[in-house]
Amino acid sequence: MVHALYEAHRVLKPNGLLIDLRPASIHRRVGISRPDGYQLSWVMRETFEDDRAADRAVAQVMAERRFKAAGRTRFTCNRTMDTLDEFREWLTDFVIKGEFRSHDWLVRRVELALDAANGKTGIVVSGPLVLRVLRKQCTSLDQTPNWVK
Amino acid sequence: MPLCVDPEQNEIQALKGVTDWRGKRVLEVGCGDGRLTRRLAQLGAVIRANDPDAGLIEKARKNLPQRFAKKVSYKVGQAERLAEASEAFDIVVFSWVL
Repeated sequence: MVHALYEAHRVLKPNGLLIDLRPASIHRRVGISRPDGYQLSWVMRETFEDDRAADRAVAQVMAERRFKAAGRTRFTCNRTMDTLDEFREWLTDFVIKGEFRSHDWLVRRVELALDAANGKTGIVVSGPLVLRVLRKQCTSLDQTPNWVK
Repeated sequence: MPLCVDPEQNEIQALKGVTDWRGKRVLEVGCGDGRLTRRLAQLGAVIRANDPDAGLIEKARKNLPQRFAKKVSYKVGQAERLAEASEAFDIVVFSWVL
C-alpha cells in the first residue's frame, strides 16, 4: 500500500492533493426500507485488516513528510438493493475480502424481514465513508542522497 | 433497480467541498466501473482513471456518457506502478483502493 502512496506522490504536482476515500473501519448497518420506514436487521461489527494496514501506510508517508494532512470528513454511504440475490452477492464479496466465516445466517435473517414486509421493500446496507485529504510535501526524501550507493 | 451505491450522493457532496474541480487534472486510482469517475467529470475535472481489472475498465468505457468523452480516459494499470509522468496531476483520488 505504501508503494501506491509513493507513486501518488511522484505523479502529483507540487502541493497537489491526494484524496483517500474508503469505508470507515466501523460497523455497517443492514436493514429493510419499507413504506412505513426503516427497519434495522443487523449491525455488522467485522473489521478488515486491510483497513488497519491502509491507516499504517498513510501514517508512514506523513511521518516521512511526503504528505501532510489537509482535511478529513466522514459521511453516510448507503447501498440499496432490490433483491436478496443482490444482497447475497454483496455479502459474499464482503466475506471473501475479510476472510470471515459464512454469513448465510444473515441472508436468512434479511429474507425473513423481506417476507414479513410482503415485498414492498428494498435492502439497505449503510456504513460511513471517510474522506481524507493529504497535501503533497516536497522534501529531500524525493531524491536519493548522494552517499547512498 | 439493481445495486445502487450512494443514491443520496453524499460522496460527491463531500468531494465538492474539497476543492474547485473545474479544469483540474485528476488521476483516479481504482476507478472500477467508473461510477465515481462520472461524478468527478460532472464537477468539471479532466480525468485519467485506472484500474487493474481490464473487465471493469471495459465496462467503465461503455458506461461513459458521450458528453464526457473528451474529459475522461481509462487505462488498465496498477496503483503501485503508475504509467504516468511525474508531477502531471493536480489531484490523485484513491477510490476505495487503500
